[in-house]
Amino acid sequence: MPIVECDAVNKIYQQGRVEVAALQDINLHIPEGAFIALAGPSGSGKTTLLNLIGGLDTATSGTIRVVGKSMAKLTQTQLAQLRLSQVGFVFQSYNLIPVLSAQENVEFVMLLQGIPAAERTGRARSILDTVGLKDKYKRRPAELSGGQQQRVAVARAIVANPAIVLADEPTANLDSKTGQGLLELMQQMNTERNVTFIFATHDQMVMQYAERVVYLKDGRIKTDTLKQHRDKVEPK
Amino acid sequence: MNMHVQIGWRNIWRNPKRTAVILTAIIIGVWSMIFLSGLMRGIADQMVRNGISNLTGHLQLHPHHYRRDPSVDHRISDAERLAAVLRQNLPAGAVWSRRVRVNAVAGNARHSSGVTLVGIDPAKEAQLSFVSSAITRGRYLRSGDNRGIIVGKALLAKYETRLGRKLVLMSQDATGEISSRAFRITGVFQTELKATEKQFVFVNLTAVQKMLQIDSAISEIAVLLPSHQQADAVAGQLRQALAEHKIDVSTWQDLLPLVKATIKIYDSFIFLWFLVVFIAMGFGIVNTTLMAVFERIREFGLLKALGMRPGWIMRMVLTESLFLLMLGLLAGNLLGMLSIYALAETGIDLSAFAAGLEFVGMGRIIFPVVQIRDVVGANLVVVVLGLAVSAYPAYKAAHFTPVQALTHT
Amino acid sequence: MSIEVKMAWRNLWRNTRRTVLTIAAIAFACLLLVFMLSWQFGTYDVMINTAVGIHSGHLQVQAKGYNDKQAVYQVVPDPASVSAAVAGVPQVTAHTLRAKAFAMASSARRTYGAMAVGIAPASEAAVSTLAKLIFEGEFLAKTDTDQALAGRLLAQNLKIGLGEELVLLGQGRDGSVAATVVKIKGIINSGQDVFDRSTVLIPLGLFQESFAMQGTVHEVVLRCRSLQDVAPVKLQLQDKLAAQIKSDTLVVLDWTELMPGLLESIKLDLVSGFIFYFILIIVVAFSILNTFLMSVFERTREFGVMLAMGTTPGRLTRILLFESSSMTLIGILIGALAGAAVTQYFAVHGIAIADAAEILREFGLPERIHPRLSILSVTIGSGIVLVITFTTTLYPAFKVRRLIPVQALRA
Repeated sequence: MPIVECDAVNKIYQQGRVEVAALQDINLHIPEGAFIALAGPSGSGKTTLLNLIGGLDTATSGTIRVVGKSMAKLTQTQLAQLRLSQVGFVFQSYNLIPVLSAQENVEFVMLLQGIPAAERTGRARSILDTVGLKDKYKRRPAELSGGQQQRVAVARAIVANPAIVLADEPTANLDSKTGQGLLELMQQMNTERNVTFIFATHDQMVMQYAERVVYLKDGRIKTDTLKQHRDKVEPK
Repeated sequence: MNMHVQIGWRNIWRNPKRTAVILTAIIIGVWSMIFLSGLMRGIADQMVRNGISNLTGHLQLHPHHYRRDPSVDHRISDAERLAAVLRQNLPAGAVWSRRVRVNAVAGNARHSSGVTLVGIDPAKEAQLSFVSSAITRGRYLRSGDNRGIIVGKALLAKYETRLGRKLVLMSQDATGEISSRAFRITGVFQTELKATEKQFVFVNLTAVQKMLQIDSAISEIAVLLPSHQQADAVAGQLRQALAEHKIDVSTWQDLLPLVKATIKIYDSFIFLWFLVVFIAMGFGIVNTTLMAVFERIREFGLLKALGMRPGWIMRMVLTESLFLLMLGLLAGNLLGMLSIYALAETGIDLSAFAAGLEFVGMGRIIFPVVQIRDVVGANLVVVVLGLAVSAYPAYKAAHFTPVQALTHT
Repeated sequence: MSIEVKMAWRNLWRNTRRTVLTIAAIAFACLLLVFMLSWQFGTYDVMINTAVGIHSGHLQVQAKGYNDKQAVYQVVPDPASVSAAVAGVPQVTAHTLRAKAFAMASSARRTYGAMAVGIAPASEAAVSTLAKLIFEGEFLAKTDTDQALAGRLLAQNLKIGLGEELVLLGQGRDGSVAATVVKIKGIINSGQDVFDRSTVLIPLGLFQESFAMQGTVHEVVLRCRSLQDVAPVKLQLQDKLAAQIKSDTLVVLDWTELMPGLLESIKLDLVSGFIFYFILIIVVAFSILNTFLMSVFERTREFGVMLAMGTTPGRLTRILLFESSSMTLIGILIGALAGAAVTQYFAVHGIAIADAAEILREFGLPERIHPRLSILSVTIGSGIVLVITFTTTLYPAFKVRRLIPVQALRA
């Protein structure tokens, strides 16, 4: 069973008096463990689609299922719960809560999940170790470089063992070397933990790393390319 | 329109909600300055008017020593000569009246107590004090009616007497003997304060003169001028003209030291209130302007990078503040004036505190009064101090270095 | 420490300048209120105590109707039985008898109307402050029979000095002529013109004799341990009088009934004070509302991220409330402490108001006013500020609940 199923999804924004179709007739199934990029120019609808999948926004018509649950049927609180347990987010910038240290930022998600303090600390530190921030636990976001901040964001997105991580232009503010490092980290998480990664991006590098690139334009899927084959764990 | 003005105006509307919030603070503040100072001036004004009509007038002339020792021993015998001097020196529109005023004891079968006995010239007195217009029952004194007496309503109740009954007045006459004379109550007056009703009784001037055996001597002349602001000037002039007459000339401020002191206290209180309200909104003005400045650091950096001088940026920020202040002042003044206008007819009725008002000597209904200097003062305080506190954010804005500004997020 | 508290605290110091200004505004309001209320309460205390001390005592037993009319024939017929009833009430520390009548007071040179008051010197000194108001000469002694004290202004008007004779001429209880000659033993100065201009104090025995009182008096004046005792003592005494004396011609009046103007003028002052304070705090509230609003607006994106992570809106509200209420509480704490300090300073040193001495005297207030710091003034002052600023902070804190994640993230 695919982890994300979008069937006949439309999203229409009211912009003043004009209706703008941000997404039209989107049919997209994403299997568990995918590493997929939603590509396209700005305004193509990729971020909108990402938000719909993350339950941050609701579709005008059509159905979206995430881990088998139909998003349209969930209340705001249930959506928050779903995001908490199943979805991690990585945004382009200002990802972190500025008043919390790297470790506290990572812990915050677990705190929301009600994980006890001792376990939180252990898990937060180990995941920060994994993303290569072993000596930066106590640093505040302002004291970290852009790349380090994004690593904390990835750590935070991963730490709660979500099924999906949604990343919106995660590399946009990074130089190419740092971006590459970040992508490799995410790829590693993808393979090691079998977490599905969905990117919204127009960064060529992200597309190179992605195994599948769905190209959107004017709210429609133009192409859907399976670029490279990797060994994957088949859905059970 | 000037560029500054245009930019300033547009800038304050970049964040309408924030502007609205700080404007509300300024408007309420300014409104309270205008309205509450109006109320306080109303109270003070009422005190002055009550005091002046309470037999004080704007000026009074007394024989030397009378004010310290208000007895019949000190009197003006040459009233006619004095009248001539007054006719020469008083401005057109001024009215004046002769009186004999002594302490006396009023008594009847039920009660007796101390009163102030005032002998008046009924026709002239009607022009300058409250008596004639405050008669609620019976009639005012007629000249030549040497047996009639006018008393206050509260006095009537205290003596358990009524119109037409007798009242005996006793006072020390020119020879030092106690002379007494019976009068018949012909009129009853009512005033704001019960104390006034109990204190004063009025009879014809000639009746008192006869009773006290002082011929045509008087103890005071009260003068009402077209405006109470003339009091000091006219008093000065009279003092010169009467230098050889052994006459004291007192203004209403000399005669009503409590009222004068109250007004002074109100003056300081109003000013303190302005200051306190300003400080309260000053915090908001600084904070809001700081916010507006800090979120535009990049913009200022850019402007500086483009070669704009710090002074220009300061002017820009100050212009914005000025707009904010002016808008707040405009609305605040308007609201303040409207509330005062709304109460101009009915006033604020404080009857609920009647006994307390009597205690402090205030009337029951307060009519707010606008004093130009309060309005000007309030506006000046807000504009001047408002700009002064805005200088800090403006200075900040002007002194961001372009690098600081551009790296700020 | 919970993470919300931690976050709230750190957020507070993200923009130190703004936070400090906001706290300062709150502290300013609080300081002002604490000081002003202490001032008001302090003056009320003095006013009441002065008036109670000079004039009314805490309670009086009088003939019904005497308080309105003060006629010489409205007497307490059997003062001894009232005394006995009063003596049995434990909260009453002292009581004294007085009789009053209007009289013409004549010196060798002048005649003025005056209020002749017969007092029992020893018990009077225990009930009222009159004995302490001697300006010149001495207070009456128990053995004095024809001595008198005159108000300072009356003595001045009468041109009379210590040792000189004063003739009092009035109307006795039975309508007869009352006349007596007394010697001035002391001059009394209360500072209140009306009293000083019209009062002659003479021994009660002399008064009763001259005014044909036949052992009766006009007032039985009581002093209680404190103002709080007045109401219960009044009830107790009413019952006792009704039971023991079986007379419905006597009434027990407390100081608020004896001097209705005093309490009402205090109420008036208090009410107008509160109007001013309320307006002031509303201005402060709007002044600081922007800080609270801005701290929400400028963090919209941050909140968006938090919402995306699955934070519930309720938790956001909580964090914001922690933030704003800690600002409020710090402000109030500083304000209350500073207010208390300032008040205490002036409570010790007093404040002189230029040109106000005459007015203050009229209300029985000294030239230097000493505000009185009390739990009441501090709590009421801080309480008002707390309620209004806290209400102000609710708006942004609940507004954040309406944040839509997608829009918040775009900010």
